[in-house]
Amino acid sequence: MAVRANVEPYRPDWRQGRVMSWVTTTDHKRIGILYIGTSLVFFAAGGILALLMRAQLAQANEHFITKQSYNELFTIHGTTMIFLVVVPIFAGFANFLVPLMIGARDVAFPRLNALSYWLFLFGGVVLYLSFFAKYGASRSGWYGYPPLSADMFSLGRGQDLWILSLHLLSLGSLIGAINFLATIHNMRAPGMSWMRIPLFVWSIEIYSALLVLVLPVLSVGLTLLLLDRQAGTHFFEPQGGGNAILYQHFFWFFGHPEVYIMILPAMGIISEVIPVFSRKPIFGYKAIAFSTVAIGFYSMLVWAHHMFSVGLPNFLNVFFMLSSMVIAVPTGVKIFNWLATTWRGNLIFDTAMLWALGFIAVFTIGGLSGIFLAAFPVDWQVTDTYYVVAHMHYVLFGGSVFGIFAGLYYWWPKIFGRMLDERLGKVHFWLVFLGFNLTFFPQHMLGLLGMPRRIYTYQEHGLWQAYNLISSIGAGVMAIGLLVFVVNVVQTSRKGARAVNDPWLADTLEWYTTSPPPPHNFEQLPYITSARPIRDLRRRLAEARV
Amino acid sequence: MPPPVRRRALVLVLALGAALALAAVAYAGNGGFAPATPHSPNAKRINDSYVWISIFTGAIFVLVEGALIAFVFKYRRRGRPRTAEGPQIHGATRLELIWTAIPVVILAVIAAFIFYKLPGIQDVPGAKAEGGPLIVKVDAHQFYWQFTYPDGQISIDELHAPVNRTVRVDITSQDVDHSWWVPELGGKFDAIPGHVTHTWFKADQVGTYRGRCGEFCGVFHAAMKAVVEVESQTEYAAWLDTAASELGRGEWVGSCAKCHGLQGQGGFGPKISNNTLLTQGQGLEQLIRQGRKEMPPVAHGWTDEQVQALLAYLKQSVYKGAASGG
Repeated sequence: MAVRANVEPYRPDWRQGRVMSWVTTTDHKRIGILYIGTSLVFFAAGGILALLMRAQLAQANEHFITKQSYNELFTIHGTTMIFLVVVPIFAGFANFLVPLMIGARDVAFPRLNALSYWLFLFGGVVLYLSFFAKYGASRSGWYGYPPLSADMFSLGRGQDLWILSLHLLSLGSLIGAINFLATIHNMRAPGMSWMRIPLFVWSIEIYSALLVLVLPVLSVGLTLLLLDRQAGTHFFEPQGGGNAILYQHFFWFFGHPEVYIMILPAMGIISEVIPVFSRKPIFGYKAIAFSTVAIGFYSMLVWAHHMFSVGLPNFLNVFFMLSSMVIAVPTGVKIFNWLATTWRGNLIFDTAMLWALGFIAVFTIGGLSGIFLAAFPVDWQVTDTYYVVAHMHYVLFGGSVFGIFAGLYYWWPKIFGRMLDERLGKVHFWLVFLGFNLTFFPQHMLGLLGMPRRIYTYQEHGLWQAYNLISSIGAGVMAIGLLVFVVNVVQTSRKGARAVNDPWLADTLEWYTTSPPPPHNFEQLPYITSARPIRDLRRRLAEARV
Repeated sequence: MPPPVRRRALVLVLALGAALALAAVAYAGNGGFAPATPHSPNAKRINDSYVWISIFTGAIFVLVEGALIAFVFKYRRRGRPRTAEGPQIHGATRLELIWTAIPVVILAVIAAFIFYKLPGIQDVPGAKAEGGPLIVKVDAHQFYWQFTYPDGQISIDELHAPVNRTVRVDITSQDVDHSWWVPELGGKFDAIPGHVTHTWFKADQVGTYRGRCGEFCGVFHAAMKAVVEVESQTEYAAWLDTAASELGRGEWVGSCAKCHGLQGQGGFGPKISNNTLLTQGQGLEQLIRQGRKEMPPVAHGWTDEQVQALLAYLKQSVYKGAASGG
C-alpha cells in the first residue's frame, strides 16, 4: 500500500545562502563587519578623490582636472570621509565590540541595527551616483553654505541628491546611536558597573549621545535648504527676507560635535590599546572616562568658532573662544594619562601599539594648532586657508584614522579569527606615518603663505609650488602604505596565523570568547569585579596552578 | 659622574634640541611658521598674538613629544616576555590635578594676551586728525571685488588707498558668501548677502598688497583676487580723478573676462565678442543683472552709470561685429 505523504522536496531556507545570510542578518557581529567593510571601500573611494586633488595641485597652473570637477572632488571627499568613513566605521566597531565588551548576547534592537546599516549603504550609494546627475555632484563644499548651495548658484540635482544622501545617513546614524545607548544602559553583564565598562564603551556612549542630540539639528537645516531649493521658500535667502548665517548656525551646531563624534571613539580605542601593549592598567580610568563626558558636553558649546569671520557680536566671539580653549583641558588630560600609562611599562611595539603611539604624536600637533584657531583674531588670519586643512587632517586623519588602524590591527584577530601580518603591518604604519606628515605638515606653511583652501589652481611658484609638491608626494607615499594594508588583508585572509582567544593578553571581556566569537557570543561569563575581568581571570588561574 | 653611555645620550638630546631651535629660527619667517609680514597695525597685533601662542604651544609640543620619545626608548620591551607586567599603577590624583590645572593657567595667559591686543585689532581707530577714517564699501560678487569710494568713484578688483591713512572697509556680498582677506593688512571678514561686516587697515608703506577671496564662492573662487594699491596722498587723489574713465574697462576685466576671455574669445563661458547682444543695452542689462543658468548675476546691485560704462566699453573695445556668413 502506497504511503501518500504530502512531502515537499527539501529546500534550504533562502536566508541561509552565502550572500543572503549577510543581507538578512541581524547579528551585531555581522552587521559590524558589514559596516567596517563598507566604510573601508568608501575610504578607498574618498582617498582616490584626494589623490586626484593632490595631482591637480602638485604644480602651479596645472590642468589635470577642470575647476568644476575639482569642486565636486573636495565636496564629495569631505562628505565621504566624514559621513561614509569615520562615523560609520566607528558604528561598525561599536556594533561588533560593545555587546562583547559588556557581556551581552546582541544589541538591544537587532532589526533596527540592520536597518541602520542599510540606510548607511544606500545613503552612500546615492552620494556617489550623484556624480551622474546633470551638472554633476554637489560642488558647494562639505558644509554646503547657502546661497552657494541654493538653486540659483548650484544648478542641477547634485545638491538635492547630496541632501537626500545626508538625510539617509543621518537617519541611519540616529537609529544606530539609539540602539547603542539602549544596549549600554540595559544589557551590561552582572557586575559590569559604569566604572567597570571598557573606556571604548564610554566613548561609544558619548558618541551616541552626541549623535542623538545634534543630528536632528542637521536634518532641520538640510530640510530648510531643500525647501529653499525645491519649494521656493526663503529661509536662507536674504533677498526674500531669509538669513544666510542661520544655516551656518544649524550646520555647525551639528558640525562641531560631529568632530568629537569622530575623535572620541578613536580615543576610546587608544585607551584600550595603550594599556594592553604597555602591560599596565590605564592611568586614571576615571579621569579618562570623565574627560570623555566633559569633551562631549563642551563640544556642544563651541560651534561658532567655525564662524569667527562672519562678524558675530564681540561677546559671542569671546564666549566661543573661551569655550573652545576649555576643550583643550580634558583633551590634554587624556594625552598626559596615556603617556603616564606607558611610563615604566613593558612596551610591546606590535602594529596596533605603533598606531596608538603615532596617534599621540600627531594628534598633539593637531590639538596645538587648534589653540591658534580658537584665538579668534588669529583665526581671522588663518581660517579658510591650508592651515585649517592641515589642522583638521592632523586631528581627523592623524587622530581618527590612526585610531581606526590601531583598532583594526588590535581587533582583527577577534573579528576574523586570523592574525594580520606584523611585518607588513609595520611597513604600512611607517609609510602612512611618513606620508601623512609629508602631506599635511607643509600645509601649515602654505596656509601662512596665504593659500586659501578649495582653490583648484594657483599661479605662485617658489615656496608655494615646493610645499604643494611635497604635499602631493606625501599623498602618494600614504597611498602606497594603504595598498600594503590591502595586501596584508588579502594575504592573511587565507594564510594568516589562526588567532587564539586572547592573542595580546588583553583585559576586556571580548577576549574571553573564541576568535571569531560564536553567534551567541559567550557560553558563560566570568565574574566581573573590575574593569579588567580577563586579567583578573588570568591571575586567578595562575594562582590556582601554584 | 654619569656613565659614558648616558652622557652620549645627553649630548645627542642637546644636539637635537639645538638643531630644532635653529630650525625654528630659520623657519620663523613667512614661508615657515609665521604669517605674512604685517603692514598694518591690526595685522601686526594679530602676528604678536600668533607669536605669543607659539611660545606656549611650542613648549607643550616639545614636552609631549619629548616624553613620548623618551618613554618609547626607555621602556621598550628589551626581550621581556609579554606576561611581564609593569607596575600596576592605577593613577595619581594629585598628579592628574596638576596636569589639569597647568593647561588652565596657560590658556588663561593666552586668553589674557588676546584680550589685551583685541581692541587694537578690532576697533577702527577714530583717526580724528584725518577727519575720521576713509570709508570704502566693498561689494563681493561672483567672482570679483567692487570698491566704492566716499565720493562715489568705483573700481573693480583694485582698491586704491593712501598710505598711513586709516581705511575702514564695509563688506557685503551681492550673491553668495565670500571673504575679504589681504594677509599683510589684517584678517578675514566674510562678505555675506544681507549683512555688512567691517574691518580696517592703515598701511605703513606704499606698495601693492595682494588679497584673495577666503570663502569658497564657486567655480572661479581661485580667480577671485584683490589688489590693494597703497600710494601717496597725491597719487591717490590723482587716481580718484581718473577712476570714472577706467570703470568700463575695469568691469570688463574683472567681471566678464575671467569667464569669457580678455578679448571675449570665450573660455569657461562662451565666445561673446561677436554676439549682437553686446550692443543691445536692455537685453544685456537684464542678463547681467539677473543672470541666467550658469551665467551669474554679475551686475546685481550695479548703478545705471556702471551699466552704461560697461556698455560703452563693450561697444568700443570688445564687440567685433556679428559673425559673418552662417
